Parts: sequence; C-alpha cells; structure tokens
Amino acid sequence: MNGDPVSTFQFLGLTFSTANVVSGLIVFALIVAVVFFCSRKLAMKPSKGQNFLEWLIDFTNGILKGSIPADDVGKFGLWGFTLFFFLFLSNELGLFIQVATRGGATIVRSPTSDPIATLTFSLMTMMVAQFAGVWKLGYKRHFTNYLKPFVFWLPISIFEEFTNFLTLGLRIFGVIFSGEMLLGVIWDLAASHGIATMVVAVPIEMAWQGFSAFLGAIQAFVFVTLSSVYISQKLEVEE
Amino acid sequence: MLSHLVIGQALYFGDSLFYIVTFLLLMWIIKIFAWGPVTKMMQDRADKISNDIDSAEQSRNDAADLVQQRQAALANSRSEAQTIVNDAKTNGQQQREQIVTAAQADVQTMKQNAQKDIEQERQDALSNARNDVADLSIEIASKIIQRELKGDDQKALIDSYIEGLGKQHES
Repeated sequence: MNGDPVSTFQFLGLTFSTANVVSGLIVFALIVAVVFFCSRKLAMKPSKGQNFLEWLIDFTNGILKGSIPADDVGKFGLWGFTLFFFLFLSNELGLFIQVATRGGATIVRSPTSDPIATLTFSLMTMMVAQFAGVWKLGYKRHFTNYLKPFVFWLPISIFEEFTNFLTLGLRIFGVIFSGEMLLGVIWDLAASHGIATMVVAVPIEMAWQGFSAFLGAIQAFVFVTLSSVYISQKLEVEE
Repeated sequence: MLSHLVIGQALYFGDSLFYIVTFLLLMWIIKIFAWGPVTKMMQDRADKISNDIDSAEQSRNDAADLVQQRQAALANSRSEAQTIVNDAKTNGQQQREQIVTAAQADVQTMKQNAQKDIEQERQDALSNARNDVADLSIEIASKIIQRELKGDDQKALIDSYIEGLGKQHES
C-alpha cells in the first residue's frame, strides 16, 4: 500500500485526508443511527434496542471499573462508552467496506488503520488522564506525582507519558493496518490467476476477515482498558 | 501509510482535528440521545428493584406478624372456650346439687309436717273420742240413773274407767 496515492484536500489551511474524513463520518453516522434508534421508547422493562444499549453501557462501565475507583467511574462512563463504540466500529468498518477511487486512492477503509487517527485517540486519552489528575488531586499533588518515588524519576515519568501515548496509539494501528493490508494481499492473490486462485483465496479471505473482526473487537477493548489504567494512575497519589 | 506521515508531501494534521471534533460531537449526541436517558432509566430500575426488595421484606414481616397475631387470638379463644365450658360444667354441678339438696330438704319438711299432722289428728281424734265418750256416758248414766250427778266427779270416774279400758285393750 505504500506506493498508493493518497487523496487529500485543503481546508482552512490544514491538510485533510479524504479517506480519513469520509470513513470517520461513516462511523460517526453509523453510531448516531444505532444509538438513536436503540434509545427510542425507553421503558422500565427494556425492549430489544434498549437492552443492547444497556448491555453495551454495562460492558464499557465494567471495563472502566476494572481499574478506576468505583466512585469516579460515573465521570468517565460516557467517554469510555463513546471511545469503545467508535474504535470498535472503526476497526470493523474496513473489513467489510473498502472503496477506492479510479486512481487507486482509498476513500473508505478503517479509520484506525491510519496512525494519525489512532494517535489522536491516544492523545485524547493522555489529555483526559492529565485533566482527571488535576481535577481529582489538584495541580500541586498531580504534578508532584512525577517526582515520585524520588526527584530524579522525573525524566522517566515524562518519558513514560510519551511511550504510553505511542504504544497505545500504535498498537491498535498496527493490528488493524496489518489486517487490512493482508486482506488486500489475499484479494490480489485471488484476482491474480482467474477462477482457480479465486476458489482457493476466498475461503482464506473470509477466515481472515473473521479473525480480523475478532482482533478489532479485542483491540477496541484493550484500548479502553489501557486508557482507564492510565487514567486511574493519575487519580491516586503515588507513595 | 506511515511513510506518508514521515516523508509525505503534507502531514494531514487536519484529520487529527477532525477526529477530535467528531469525537466530541459524538459524545455530545450520545449523551443527549442515549447516555442520559438510558443511564437514568437504569438508575431508576435499580432504585425500583431495591425498593421492591425492601417492600417485599416489609410485607413479609407484616404477614408473619399477622400470622402470629392470628395464632395468639386462636389460642386465646380456645382457652376462653375451655373456660366457658368449665364454668358451665361447674355451674351445672352446683345447681344440680342445690336442687337435690332443696328437694331433699323439702321432702324432709313435708315428711315431718305429715308426721306432725298425723300425730295432731291422732291426738285430736283421741281427745274428741274421750270427750264424746264422757258426754255419752254422762248422758247414758243420767238417763239410766235418772238422777243428777255432779259432772266433775262423774268425769273423773269415767276417765279412770276408760284408762282401765285402754289397759285392758293393750294387754
């Protein structure tokens, strides 16, 4: 994919990648649609859509509860829910729909197969963690946490922030990007020698799609889990 | 694709901004449409369930109390009934005894009265007979003897005669 042309456009002096914007909007629209239709007719006895939403909310709250103290989970519930839903759909989108222009530039694929998207979410997590730390402990105690267990730990603490930021963003990118790339490779193989290779490659393609769907779910889960861990680290005073 | 980031013509930071804005907008929409109402509903349900559990506990306790009260009342009424029956029995016994005693006393009195009456009758009859005999004998004697006799002397004479007669009769 490295040599592929990339479709970009300029807006307000910033460069946008068409693929990222279009895919992001598709995911956005999908989530809004699902959430909107599932939250109609809320009742004490939940119906289908409400059940699904409540299950998802319980699920993401469960992830957060794994590391964040129970009193503070409520503050991050919405954030965790949106993050998980967005990442999950982003991971799965490219497995089923990939659209390219005539020139070969992709328009629709997984938003998370681009590091700029994943690193954006990773950066958001880091900022949420910082804000949470200041909100919970106050500026003084939050920043003195970097000097613990002793003052010379400061470079390591700051470095750790960067590694957290990079690993969190690049892990999900790597898995999704490689998954999509392999899908493309298998498809090229399938198309290479007509019907004979097609018969062989299509089952492999389907198997890989299934596996990637699984990986996408796992990665969304891991992302939210690690995010909540990073946040919970900022919520307590280190001894 | 990473190569585009590093070497590429332009780093598309715009995407970053786009994703942040999209994400925040999404969070806001989800909060308005789903998160707020659904979590509120879940909270309401949790409250309702805990209330239901509490009230179920309450009514269970009430029912248990009621059962106890009923049982106590039942036991009470049973013992009351027992007392009433016992009272009635003793009353009946007493009345029976009273009636029997009264009847016995009546019978006794009547018997005594009867005996007294009989005695009286006997005495009366005896004295009447005695007087009649005296008068009769005086009449007979005066008729026979045709002579005036002193009533008292004559009566003493006849009394001694009748006593002699009674002794003769007894022997």
